[in-house]
Amino acid sequence: MTFPSLGLLSQSVLSGLFLGGMYGLIGLGLGLSWGLLGQINLTHFGFVFLSAYLCYHLTMVWGVDPLLTLGLLVPAFFAVGVVMQWALARFRVSTFNSLLVTFGLTVMIEALIQKIWTADFRKLQTGYGEEKFSFLGLYAPLPELLTLTVSAAAAGGIWLLMRYTDLGKAMRAMAEDAPIAAAFGVNARALALLLSGSCVALAAIAGVFFALSFTLTPTQIFSWVGVVFAAVMMGGLGNPLGPLLAGLVIGVSEALAMAVFSPSWAPIVSFSLLIVLLLFRPAHR
Amino acid sequence: MLEVRGLRVSYGAAPALSDLDLDVGAGELVGVVGPNGAGKTTLINTLAGLIAPASGRIGLNGTDLARLPSHAFCAAGVAIVPESRRLFSAMTVRENLELGSYLPRAKAERARSLESVIALFPALASRLGTRAGSLSGGQQQMVAIGRALMARPSLLLLDEPSLGLAPAVVETMFAAVRRINAAGVAILLVEQNIGMAMELASRAYVLEEGRVVLQGQAAELMGRPEIRKAYLGLE
Ligand SMILES: Nc1ncnc2c1ncn2[C@@H]1O[C@H](COP(=O)(O)OP(=O)(O)O)[C@@H](O)[C@H]1O
Ligand SMILES: [Mg+2]
Repeated sequence: MTFPSLGLLSQSVLSGLFLGGMYGLIGLGLGLSWGLLGQINLTHFGFVFLSAYLCYHLTMVWGVDPLLTLGLLVPAFFAVGVVMQWALARFRVSTFNSLLVTFGLTVMIEALIQKIWTADFRKLQTGYGEEKFSFLGLYAPLPELLTLTVSAAAAGGIWLLMRYTDLGKAMRAMAEDAPIAAAFGVNARALALLLSGSCVALAAIAGVFFALSFTLTPTQIFSWVGVVFAAVMMGGLGNPLGPLLAGLVIGVSEALAMAVFSPSWAPIVSFSLLIVLLLFRPAHR
Repeated sequence: MLEVRGLRVSYGAAPALSDLDLDVGAGELVGVVGPNGAGKTTLINTLAGLIAPASGRIGLNGTDLARLPSHAFCAAGVAIVPESRRLFSAMTVRENLELGSYLPRAKAERARSLESVIALFPALASRLGTRAGSLSGGQQQMVAIGRALMARPSLLLLDEPSLGLAPAVVETMFAAVRRINAAGVAILLVEQNIGMAMELASRAYVLEEGRVVLQGQAAELMGRPEIRKAYLGLE
């Protein structure tokens, strides 16, 4: 083990923060649907990748600006989320079964991606990828900077909505005691549709920024599941700021472990953090 | 105002209410008493839309609520103070109260309603920012009643508001119930504390095994020793 220079360490911390922003952005919708709807929606990861590939396709084949693809993908994915919630409610899928059903859906999405885009590596080539900012000798690529900014804005914005609007209060009330919330006029079924649509729309946003920063290959879907789950669970279910904060902690720890020890240490770090946290956090609920 | 006819409710195959008829007039305070498991909570919850009845009519100011979805009951003028309170414990007292006035008509009066709830329960004034789950039992009951009042109901459903409270707090609670009723809100009150309930109510129903076995003017029921003994469990 050789101790790296301060400059290298700072650059590691920065790239850890950027990676954490991605964890947070993917984890945001996952944590909200888990905490507020009681659904462990593994399809979230499938949706993120599907959105990333669609963004890739729209950009590379049709020549659309990658950020403009959001205008198409966000409403389309919102609609998918509404339909999915309608079906899950219609067939009364329990929390545990939602895990199984959505795992199956993710496998299907992965197969679909393989079929359309093959298992080859795909990388979005755009002007955004070339842009880099440097300050104090540190490098910040534009896509990563955008990801972190959007991740923070989305988490912060949703936190404000949940805390200060009647809609947000109704959602929290529904999560705690849906029948009583309904007795005060909250239309729980409509809110669940809205919430599910929003979570899948968040997956679409995460997908676009994923495509900007990362090389795509379908089998990678599952390699993101573990660490994003860790971020969501550490951050606290249903808390919009949680996944981002936990994601940043995990991202920075991973980056430091990679710099100080070796790259193979990264996954060990995130799961050790999760286990320690679950063991020592005072039990709530 | 409330006109319940032939109400049947069952949990799976087990009937909990059978052919129940019940009336509450505008501004009236009606008591419902009966032993544990008689179906009192089932009645209150059904009238608030928490449970869908198997059959029967729940007429309120001329509309039949029985076929409506749960979230439509509140708009029709019903508000519930449920058994064991069921506050949104992770939310603050203020948020709980605000949720009571979620619907547009109640929301328009939110500031005024909040003032009158605080006037009714001054103890809540300093607790608005506190998590509801961390309050004492008595204060939680105040929030539960306050939340229901924020909905500006014409009919308030109260399920055992004195349960588990210290005698002094029970007094406060009944005084509040009296004041709410005096302001013109009709009340259906379920109580184990039969003496208190009969003192507040103008009329009362005695429920046993999901049926009304006795009804009448509260004072008259209390005045007949054989009824006190056989139905009300009083000497
Ligand atoms: N959620 C439920 N599922 C099944 N049975 C229930 C449920 N709630 C109440 N019951 C049954 O219905 C009957 C009436 O209960 P309840 O309305 O709670 O009575 P009370 O409030 O008068 O004590 C009881 O026999 C009770 O066991
Ligand atoms: Mg009861």
